[in-house]
Amino acid sequence: MRKVALLALVVVLVAAFAAFPASARQEKPIKIGLVIDETGVGAIFAPSQIAGLEVALAQINAEGGILGRQVEYIKRDSQLDPAVGANVAREMILEDKVDFLLGPTSSSVALAVAEVALENKVPLALHTSNSVAITTTNFNPYIVQLVPNTTIEARSVATFIAELDFTDWATIGPDYAFGRDSYKAFEPRFLELKPDAKIVNSQWPPLAERDLSPYITAMLANQPEAIYSILWGEQLVTFVQQANDLGLFEEAQFVGLFDVDFMKAIGDELPEGLLGYSRAPFYAIDTPEMAAFVEEYLEVSGGVYPSDWGVMIYDAVMTLKAAAEAAGTVEGPAVSEALGGLTFMSLRGELTIRACDHMANVGEYVGITTQDSEYGFPILTDVRYIPAEETWNSCEEIEAIRANAG
Amino acid sequence: MPDMIFGVRTEALVVQIISGLSNGMILFIMASGLSLIFGVMRVTNFAHGGLYMLGAFFAVELSTQFEDKMQGFILALLVAPLLLAFIGLGLETTLFRRIYKKEHLLQLLLTFGITLIIADLARMRWGGDIYRLSRPDELRERVEFLGVRLQVYDLFLLGVGVLIALSLAYLLRFTRFGRVMRASVANPEMVGALGINTRFVSTSVFMLGSWLAGLGGMLVAGRSAVGLGMDSEVIVNAFAIVVIGGLGSIPGALIGSLIIGVVLSVGILSPQLVNYAQALPFAVMALVLILRPWGLLGKPER
Repeated sequence: MRKVALLALVVVLVAAFAAFPASARQEKPIKIGLVIDETGVGAIFAPSQIAGLEVALAQINAEGGILGRQVEYIKRDSQLDPAVGANVAREMILEDKVDFLLGPTSSSVALAVAEVALENKVPLALHTSNSVAITTTNFNPYIVQLVPNTTIEARSVATFIAELDFTDWATIGPDYAFGRDSYKAFEPRFLELKPDAKIVNSQWPPLAERDLSPYITAMLANQPEAIYSILWGEQLVTFVQQANDLGLFEEAQFVGLFDVDFMKAIGDELPEGLLGYSRAPFYAIDTPEMAAFVEEYLEVSGGVYPSDWGVMIYDAVMTLKAAAEAAGTVEGPAVSEALGGLTFMSLRGELTIRACDHMANVGEYVGITTQDSEYGFPILTDVRYIPAEETWNSCEEIEAIRANAG
Repeated sequence: MPDMIFGVRTEALVVQIISGLSNGMILFIMASGLSLIFGVMRVTNFAHGGLYMLGAFFAVELSTQFEDKMQGFILALLVAPLLLAFIGLGLETTLFRRIYKKEHLLQLLLTFGITLIIADLARMRWGGDIYRLSRPDELRERVEFLGVRLQVYDLFLLGVGVLIALSLAYLLRFTRFGRVMRASVANPEMVGALGINTRFVSTSVFMLGSWLAGLGGMLVAGRSAVGLGMDSEVIVNAFAIVVIGGLGSIPGALIGSLIIGVVLSVGILSPQLVNYAQALPFAVMALVLILRPWGLLGKPER
């Protein structure tokens, strides 16, 4: 009797599957898995990343989706931990069957997630993390980088500050891939552009460090004229507040990563006249696409302006869309193939993904801080765009870097 | 004063040492609680870092209860550690009491489990964001002292640290409670045989230890950002401290804390050491372990 029941069950199941139309299975939505750092110093960037992603998906779905399929996303917190990041990425690929991954905030997590992307042949678009290692020594063809990488960013800063009169510089950066890679790109370029300059002190607090005052006083002990900061997120907020208490800005000029989320968090505590760099500040980018994006973003977020991360995650989604449409499929290997040489319209103007390292030609924005702004938070003024072509490594240089590392 | 010592401006060196000492005082307050609990109950309480983190979160919440920052700060200073003492009371009477005589692995499982539970509860309540306690302006200023500009908050921390160290010394040396505590460390069975309520002693010590963890958390909130992960970061330092000073010894915890604090803050002044500064405290710990495995002021286990 039990055998008969079992057999009946199998027959019913098979029939149900056969009856399920193939086209319906075809049209299930495309899934994007967002690895996000919602814990720690990167948590401050998460809301704008999510809102930027939602604006992109709403727009894509309203216009008929990608290859005729609707697009949805799920997210998992990697807690600023590479091991957790790799796990949640794997979980989203294997259990939730995501077609694409969007990268985390921290470079150390991104390096771990990139390995998972390669293992499972799932394209990974990066919108915030930017260690150059991911496009050089740790490159794999499933990644695509929409953020000025550490080489582009640090050399842009070098170009910017080499024109100034300060010669004695101190530096401070978080002690992990992003901080160290940035410094490695910065120092030789800066000293080449400004031979009379010298780095009088370098501080490397851990990314998790919550008290930066001893590092501030240690830098000031060396009497620098100016300070180059590679700190970011909440750690930079803590730094600027403590630096205010310690009178740092009265003693030295300062250049730091002043993205829109940072500007909102620091508010009127940010001194005017400091130097800043930013990866995609909406207020300084004058394209019709950006204007439309800001309008939609304000609606989705209830009147909050988009940060750099919201802008870049939008561009990252559009990159994946363009690549999938060029490939005619969402299959990883074909999309990865289509990424090399891909040209598409981003919020920052037309971008091309370079074939040798899947790096978009995105440059850096530099300017001077002011509290005089129409947005309710400080911004950079006199903003200048330094194109990636002036700062990135050529494909030949990248080959050489990879050969040396291998 | 000479202008330069070891190639560093004297003023800068003094600033770094004071900064390191004040940081050391926070660590001392936190680690002395850990050491007390170990001394009396022989339990290595991993959850102590969780209690410290809760102290910091409570302090941030309490400080916003008043419009006036000074009133908010004082409220946090008085109430946050007290809340932790009562959490300690709850933990001791329901959970810890059952494991004092049990094997180490069981103790480890329980205290580590509580650590994880506290961390997840904190995540549910406060999320992954970073919080800051806005100090009153009086504590944000700097004062000129012998030609060196020092942060008022650093001096405040030094004051509180010294006060706590003296109070603990008085408590242990000159009160009946302290004598009973010390007797419990030396010979718990005898103390029980004399008709002293050892349960009461254990509960009180656990509450005092938790109060110290909460106070450490409250004080650190006035100086650093507050967020998840503080628990595991501080517990590593706290263990380094009690290993250097000697497990169970309060003066040892003081010396260990000040060493850890100053080694890091002075280490980053040196261009040769700056890249290894994070490892220096643990190098000191390793050195102590080699030369005096029972710690600077500890006693060899019988």
